[in-house]
Amino acid sequence: MNKFLKHPEPSESDLKGPHYWRSLDELAETEGFKDYLHREFPEGASELDGVNRRQFMKVMSASFAFAGVGLTGCRRPEKHVMPYSKQPEEIVHGKPLFYATAMPHRNDPVALVAETHEGRPTKLEGNALVAGSNGSTNQYAQASILDLYDPDRSKKTVQGGRTLTEAQRADYLTSVSKKYAENGGEGLAFLAEGIPSVTRQAQLKQLKAKLPNAVWAEYDAIETSNFETAAAKVLGKSVRAIYDYSKAERVLSLEADFLYSDPNHLADTLAFSKARKVDDDHPEMNRLYAAESYYSISGGMADHRLRVASADIPALASLMAASILEQAGIGANAVDALKATGEGLDVDPHWIEECAKDLLAHRGNAVVVAGPHQPQSVHALTIAMNEILQAQGSTVNYVSIPESSSSSISELAESINGGSVKTLVVLGGNPVYNAPADLNWSSVQAKVDEVIRLGEYFDETSEVSDCHINAAHFLESWGDAIAYNGTVLAIQPMILPLFQGLTESEVLEIIINGEAKEGFQIVSDALTSSLEGGAKAFEKFLHDGYWAGSASRSTSVSLDQAAVGQLLTEESLGLAKTSSSNLEIRFLRDPSLDDGRFNNNGWLQECPDPVTKLTWDNAFLVSPKLGAELGVIAGNTLVKVVRKNPNAHKRGKEQGHIIEITVDGKTLTGPAHVQPGLPDYTVVVSLGYGRTVTGNVGEGSGFNAYALRTVAGSSSVTGASAKNVGGVQQLADTQEHWSMEGRAIIREANLDFYKEHSDFVDHMGMESHSPAILGLDENGGNRRDTVALQELVKSGDNNRGNSAYVSPEFTGTHQWGMSIDLNTCTGCNACVIACQSENNIPVVGREQVLRGREMHWIRLDRYYSAGPGKDTNEIPTDPQVSLQPMTCQHCETAPCESVCPVNATVHDDEGLNVMAYNRCVGTRYCANNCPYKVRRFNFFDWNDRELGRDYEGPLGPKGMNELKKMSKNPEVSIRMRGVMEKCTYCLQRIQAAKIDQKVEARDSGDVKVPDGTIKVACEQVCPADAIVFGDVSDPESRVSKLKESNRDYGVLAYLNTRPRTTYLAKLRNPNPLMPDFYDNPLSHLEYNEASGHGDGHGDSHGDEAHATEDSGHNGH
Amino acid sequence: MSTIFPKEANKAPLQVVIALLIVIGTITAGATYYLTPKYSRVGYQPVQPVPFEHSLHVGELGLDCRYCHNHVEKSGHSNVPATSTCMNCHNQVQVLSEKLEPVRESLASGESIPWVQVHKVPDYVYFNHSVHVNRGISCFECHGQVNEMDEVRHEKSFSMGFCLECHRNPEEKLRPLDQITNLDWRPESKEAQLKFGNEMKEHWKINPPTSCSGCHR
Repeated sequence: MNKFLKHPEPSESDLKGPHYWRSLDELAETEGFKDYLHREFPEGASELDGVNRRQFMKVMSASFAFAGVGLTGCRRPEKHVMPYSKQPEEIVHGKPLFYATAMPHRNDPVALVAETHEGRPTKLEGNALVAGSNGSTNQYAQASILDLYDPDRSKKTVQGGRTLTEAQRADYLTSVSKKYAENGGEGLAFLAEGIPSVTRQAQLKQLKAKLPNAVWAEYDAIETSNFETAAAKVLGKSVRAIYDYSKAERVLSLEADFLYSDPNHLADTLAFSKARKVDDDHPEMNRLYAAESYYSISGGMADHRLRVASADIPALASLMAASILEQAGIGANAVDALKATGEGLDVDPHWIEECAKDLLAHRGNAVVVAGPHQPQSVHALTIAMNEILQAQGSTVNYVSIPESSSSSISELAESINGGSVKTLVVLGGNPVYNAPADLNWSSVQAKVDEVIRLGEYFDETSEVSDCHINAAHFLESWGDAIAYNGTVLAIQPMILPLFQGLTESEVLEIIINGEAKEGFQIVSDALTSSLEGGAKAFEKFLHDGYWAGSASRSTSVSLDQAAVGQLLTEESLGLAKTSSSNLEIRFLRDPSLDDGRFNNNGWLQECPDPVTKLTWDNAFLVSPKLGAELGVIAGNTLVKVVRKNPNAHKRGKEQGHIIEITVDGKTLTGPAHVQPGLPDYTVVVSLGYGRTVTGNVGEGSGFNAYALRTVAGSSSVTGASAKNVGGVQQLADTQEHWSMEGRAIIREANLDFYKEHSDFVDHMGMESHSPAILGLDENGGNRRDTVALQELVKSGDNNRGNSAYVSPEFTGTHQWGMSIDLNTCTGCNACVIACQSENNIPVVGREQVLRGREMHWIRLDRYYSAGPGKDTNEIPTDPQVSLQPMTCQHCETAPCESVCPVNATVHDDEGLNVMAYNRCVGTRYCANNCPYKVRRFNFFDWNDRELGRDYEGPLGPKGMNELKKMSKNPEVSIRMRGVMEKCTYCLQRIQAAKIDQKVEARDSGDVKVPDGTIKVACEQVCPADAIVFGDVSDPESRVSKLKESNRDYGVLAYLNTRPRTTYLAKLRNPNPLMPDFYDNPLSHLEYNEASGHGDGHGDSHGDEAHATEDSGHNGH
Repeated sequence: MSTIFPKEANKAPLQVVIALLIVIGTITAGATYYLTPKYSRVGYQPVQPVPFEHSLHVGELGLDCRYCHNHVEKSGHSNVPATSTCMNCHNQVQVLSEKLEPVRESLASGESIPWVQVHKVPDYVYFNHSVHVNRGISCFECHGQVNEMDEVRHEKSFSMGFCLECHRNPEEKLRPLDQITNLDWRPESKEAQLKFGNEMKEHWKINPPTSCSGCHR
């Protein structure tokens, strides 16, 4: 009732006149006071118009009356239990049901299992039944569920400003169908996204038969078909390459981000991490060479990383191919031609030579991959190199794919411009926003008489369409999707369409056949008629989520060398020769927003970019060198930090200098963010931002980089110039600090060093100077085994001298712990979103992230290391990046607990550091005392307030949107303002497993949860299988085995926190013959330098002296 | 100089302190009494849309609790039965009863019968029925003698102290698994209960959580 009430803003006369004034400042009309007024009521103040004192009293008296009722107001309101009228089968109230489905996403759909509570999906997980998946998903799939419940989704069909009912909508589509039934579709055109599915194939067949003159075009803002086009030319077949990284001992990536951005990255990450894991049984690991123009996730994992302009990759590929041919002693003619192509490339020839040598030395177990955006020549060369490396049948499999018969968006634009299209049906996508700028799509579309648009959002394209039809979300749809490897995945609805949206196949069905058909019928007809197995197989398909045996068959191919040469000559790609006046602009699909489709998704908007750690905005990423030339680098500060962050910060908020980029007469302005590791003159920019017609969340985030993108330059353009136009924009980055400053937070070593010093982690960090946490074994090494842990737990001894912390008693049946393998973690952020989805973590908005109030329970810390011997104020140009998932470590002697005045955070008997929200009074002492900075405070009622309206106080609008409520996990409390929260190790999953075990046990004593039953959200989603959770008191559990590894260490363990989450040190495997070889990872060398430990660290100290309790340290 | 304050004013600070103590004491006592579950919950007996008598169905006719609350052994929630469950019998028995009009209406329309919620655990608590009824805790312990109630009444306080009493000493409440839904079952004697309870606690490995994480997530 009083929700619209706010403090009335003083009117103009109030402020000026002498009659009423509230303070001297107000009377004086000082600037400070105006500012104060502004800050106190930042927005919505105009809503007060018309509220006078009388009304205010009226409203308030009602409130007072309410208050006067007093204690009765404290009584529970009457609540109803609403059981079903007819009990549905299978639904057990309180038990979730799981169904297989899939998220369609370009040509790389993700197989999913959706958890539904009483008919509403709440969490998506990967479908582990599908081959090549361990049940992992990516950040997009995790966040897609939020879109289902997005209040800003398009809820109705609008035609010419008129809302159509369902029946009117069907009539309208039928009338379109009738119009074109006679002339065979002459003048009718479709523009869809390139999402392959069996249903679509079947419908396109019908379209060909019934409306042969209709045009079918497909467009994706992120192009991934160059490989297939090149392969068709040089292999003579329509094939696609499926790589098997588990067999690849050596990998060369030519700007391929196969671990993150490229199609099939989930299966590839799993396979890659398999070949990267090092343990007693697998002492060797793979080696990754990467050349790239931006800092990608794959580049971060690389053992040798070469920064090179994207446009120079063809030259590099030529030189690499030449070197491989030369060293293999074949194709002498080609060598010269290839060398000529790459002539003048500014890359150390030894880098190429040694890399080629290494690849050749692992013939049959090596592979070269190129980014899908790279021109066809690069793919042709890749195929050729893989042939020489005998990769086919081992690390590369070619599978047949159907040839595409769809037109491109350029061809469609031509037809429209020629006047031959009368009706255009845009199915999904958002071409007005993301079509190449040189097509000028919005004006092209305007030439069509009638544009019908099917979209989940009312967006830029809908705005200029004649009819907008609201589309169903994939969780409301029947359908199927063909995975990258050809497996047909099921898409089935988890809920009836919330807003009566239609699917693509339902719209097509009406237009082609003139009458509506149920989505289920369309899909089942299409699949049973196209695939083998009939109705029975279809049932199994719905249950398992994929059609057994539908994966594409591999086919053997042979290379047509002449075709490669011809392709190279045709494209004749030269060097980019970038310079400050000839910049390269590299366009990326955004790690958060993809091509812009997730623009209104709060989880993704707030998910920090894996490398830059920017949220909510994009920026022009520039190299330190270019940054200096443009003058966007922060001046020296008085406080000398070891490796400074060149981005200017003011009170912890990044100040991005605004720069202007000009290409071909088109200009675009935006903030610059200095990013080391980029080629000097390449400016990297994310697509997907700067939407003009979007929802409440996406509004005003970033700038639209599509404005610079053309048909020819869809992944990068050259010939750009940049200038600093003055002014700054605040950028919400979540990690201001760049460097570990020589501390051993992430411990890394080279594989060879590790082989010689298997206990190197014990000799890093402060704890190498303090008594071992679990004591020493007979050889004087640190004990890690669970027996040692048990002994420690039983003794209740602090073991580390006179610690102020009392060791809690751990009497529980299980003792939970976690191991995170830094060697395989790629830093992909999937865990961040999975955690957010599982644990009802709110979105706080840009404003609050700028204040450092983001709520993620798990974060990825990114550190750059430049190596020793550098000027400490120098900005590294070629740093190594190290990423570390950081979340509550569940310290056994937790520093947070001892400072809580109300016992709100305490230990339980199974070793969990638990938070009792209803005890917390919000002193935030715990967060202050947490050395890992993993505790998050609810500064506002994030869940109860609309995004960005936190400052409206008690009178602002309250209450969670009904749709948002549906997305919440019912097993986890929604936290309110003023309480602390943090990772609980997915307590709800632990409890569910324990309860299930006890229910099953009944009158037996079998209450121990078997290992592997519980998969916590971050562990479950991890594509690299880097996170393992389990019972550390069980010596046979997976987590115990991992914790016994000699690479196991605890972060800041010298504080005697005894973290239950420990890490396995990262290993790098550089080639000693390479010119950029490093003795040890740069962070390790920096550590040695900062701590005064030399190369011969182990030798000079003696291992025993280091680890024994009574060793007097003579300092370093 | 004239005195501004009379002499009695010297006592004012003490009076203020005493008054404050009384006021604070009253508020504290009031809040402790009126805001605790004992006052605010126990005895709550709302009027239900259908005057369903547990005393008749369970007490006289001898229906097992699990005939209607059939998910109690599988799920955390003990379900209030669907209308279709009522109609299993009432399409034969009392078919014309006026009291059952809302039930027939619900079945015909597909709308729920708006039963009024009686039992509610405090906020931030996750209670699980299945783990209790499968491990020797009877419905009786929390819901009382429902088989003798005409309309269901909130019998126990459901405060944290109430839960902890049992979680700390489960042996006092454990009973044979075949007597879980027998609300009339009583141990022979206190000693017999403790003997049985302690044995079962050992044998079944009953180790009810007493840390926060057991119930609060």
